Amino acid sequence: MATKVQKTKKQPAKLDLKGFAKLIDDEQQSLVDAKDVKKVGYICNYTPVELLSAAGVRHSRLIKAGSAKTVSAGELYTQSVFCDFTKSCIGFFQQDDPFYKSFDKVYNFHTCSTMKRASEVIEQFVPTTLLNLPKLRSSEDARNFFREEIVNFKNDLGELTGKPVDDDEVQRQITIYNRARSILKEISELRKKPNPVLTGAEFLDLVRGYYYLPGEKLVTALEQVQSHLEDAPKRSGRPLRLMISGSIMADGDRRLLDILEGELGARVVIEDHCAGVRPFYHSVSEAGDPYRALANGYLDQAPCARMKPLEDGIAFSGKLAREYAVDGVVYVFLKFCACYGVSKKEFLTEFQKQNLPVLELSSDYSESDYGQLKTRIEAFVEVLKERGEVTSHEQHINA
Amino acid sequence: MKHQAKDIINEGPWKFTTTVPVVGLDIGSRGSKGVLLDGDEVTTVLLPTGLYMQETADELLTKLLQTSGLERSDIQAVVGTGYGRISLNYDDIPYRVVTEISCHAMGAHAIIPKTRTIIDIGGQDSKAIKVDTATGKVVEFVMNDKCAAGTGRFLEKAAAILGIDLRELGEVALKSKKPAQVSSQCAVFAESEVISLRARGARENLEEISADIAAGVHYSTARRVHNLLGRIGIEPEIVFTGGVSNNVGMWKVLEEEIGARFTPAKLDLIFAGALGAAVHAWKFFASTHEVKNTKKTKKKVAKHDVREEVRFPNGD
Repeated sequence: MATKVQKTKKQPAKLDLKGFAKLIDDEQQSLVDAKDVKKVGYICNYTPVELLSAAGVRHSRLIKAGSAKTVSAGELYTQSVFCDFTKSCIGFFQQDDPFYKSFDKVYNFHTCSTMKRASEVIEQFVPTTLLNLPKLRSSEDARNFFREEIVNFKNDLGELTGKPVDDDEVQRQITIYNRARSILKEISELRKKPNPVLTGAEFLDLVRGYYYLPGEKLVTALEQVQSHLEDAPKRSGRPLRLMISGSIMADGDRRLLDILEGELGARVVIEDHCAGVRPFYHSVSEAGDPYRALANGYLDQAPCARMKPLEDGIAFSGKLAREYAVDGVVYVFLKFCACYGVSKKEFLTEFQKQNLPVLELSSDYSESDYGQLKTRIEAFVEVLKERGEVTSHEQHINA
Repeated sequence: MKHQAKDIINEGPWKFTTTVPVVGLDIGSRGSKGVLLDGDEVTTVLLPTGLYMQETADELLTKLLQTSGLERSDIQAVVGTGYGRISLNYDDIPYRVVTEISCHAMGAHAIIPKTRTIIDIGGQDSKAIKVDTATGKVVEFVMNDKCAAGTGRFLEKAAAILGIDLRELGEVALKSKKPAQVSSQCAVFAESEVISLRARGARENLEEISADIAAGVHYSTARRVHNLLGRIGIEPEIVFTGGVSNNVGMWKVLEEEIGARFTPAKLDLIFAGALGAAVHAWKFFASTHEVKNTKKTKKKVAKHDVREEVRFPNGD
């Protein structure tokens, strides 16, 4: 199936991700075409993909951003005050999207109420199982409970395929996915250099692989990209460095990046959202009970704002901002998001404490508000640029 | 209209005496504003925004030239701002784009040098800006959600429903003794709220109920705008800019809502954005023509190479 390959207008390096994008396209097409295997879609990042791979099902995250048409198809089932990502998830099923339609089963974790309701609607199109995700990430009881839920998930997968999931295979998949996560983290960390070798849009192109490619294929492809990037010549200069923090930047939701990087030449060097680096900043223990390891590992990932305590997520966001030496933060959440729209104040306070200017945007997948978005982003970049000038001027005087 | 800089500044010396004529154009969603700076003279022109932004901009420029008695070839730099800024294009004059946020800050700073907080309510958006009093640069800003509530468009809608001329809406609102409660967040729903309020009151005194509704609409807008200020704070001197700043009712209601007074200006602050754009045009010209500043610009170009490339696609 056709997946749009996003290109930024200014692409200084010859990093060619066309091959990587083609790999994903082919994989999606082959998933649609495959006849002899069960296919599973999952929505939330707290879903242990290791189990899906170990169960031998083809799997993919349902993470596409829909067009205005898809969103309104989803709205047939929801109130208007659901986020456009939720509406997209439902909308693709309503529209008989060939990729979404090909799944035998969908798994979702109970994160926000909106997503819970979405799984109930999706169940009208495809068998769907809603799993529980405890909120208290450090409580021992929560961890025990989550382990049980993961075992339930494993058993359910066994029923789906008619073949119990093998513990050793789970162990093997943990190793593979640990490797994938650590490469993505290492690639992300290349962006700590003053002028990163890859753009934020390019990094998100790689992240797509994590959701669409099978583990082993993913690791091989990522290793190639990594060695290419590590050999890339060092770039001089220092573009404006930004962090995107917030809810989710779904696959295809690139308007912000197009404006920030493509039109204004800034660089997104780190993205703290659930389609960004969050899942890659944790690993799963490769020793002991694999289900306990999965429960701990997934609860330890950089938390979604629905998790408690909220301070953990804020601390993680603040730490990333410091480590990646950003000049400013774009805090973006989907309109009507009850998690990120309400916890924004705590996040903004953290950034302001670090003396980092923040642009707060509530976004959706409409295409008509380009001008309004651009005014806000452009003004933000102007402000950051002027701050930058003051700093360089002061340095000049001191020197 | 032609002004002397010293007549429109609140206090202190005028910092932006130009050696060549420069122009700032603020193409807003409803009105387009032009300011020409030449020496110590400040020429202003206001026009409604037409369908074709470039035509509106050309007309503004022609009117500015007529009023100031200059030729097009005299103009050394143009800065465009406002919603129409990206649609403008000039072959014969160096042109640059600056967002209205930076322009409003600079424009307010030029005539009220102690400006620290700006509330700007325009036709399609409202914003709160924190300004650096030394330079007129933006420290921080907040804009409304992309929605008409809390903007001039909302007032315009209400005026139309009440059958009142927009320019008189503020005056009418001031007559109210019992402002109506307009609670809706959304301009479209507020419209139906206003219609039903009006229907209820039609049997009684239409003039009185109109005043009450007009006042209610002002308070509703003021509350939205006040919320914007939450993040950047309210520090004097506070300046009210944009088209809606001409509305006496809004002026009073906003002062009451935020519990502070606005600093009055000697120039109609609908021109704040265009004046700021003209000051930016002057700075733009100065930075590319003075020896001392050229160095600084070069350094800047090296540092922000990518961004500068984007701004000057022709390799300027």
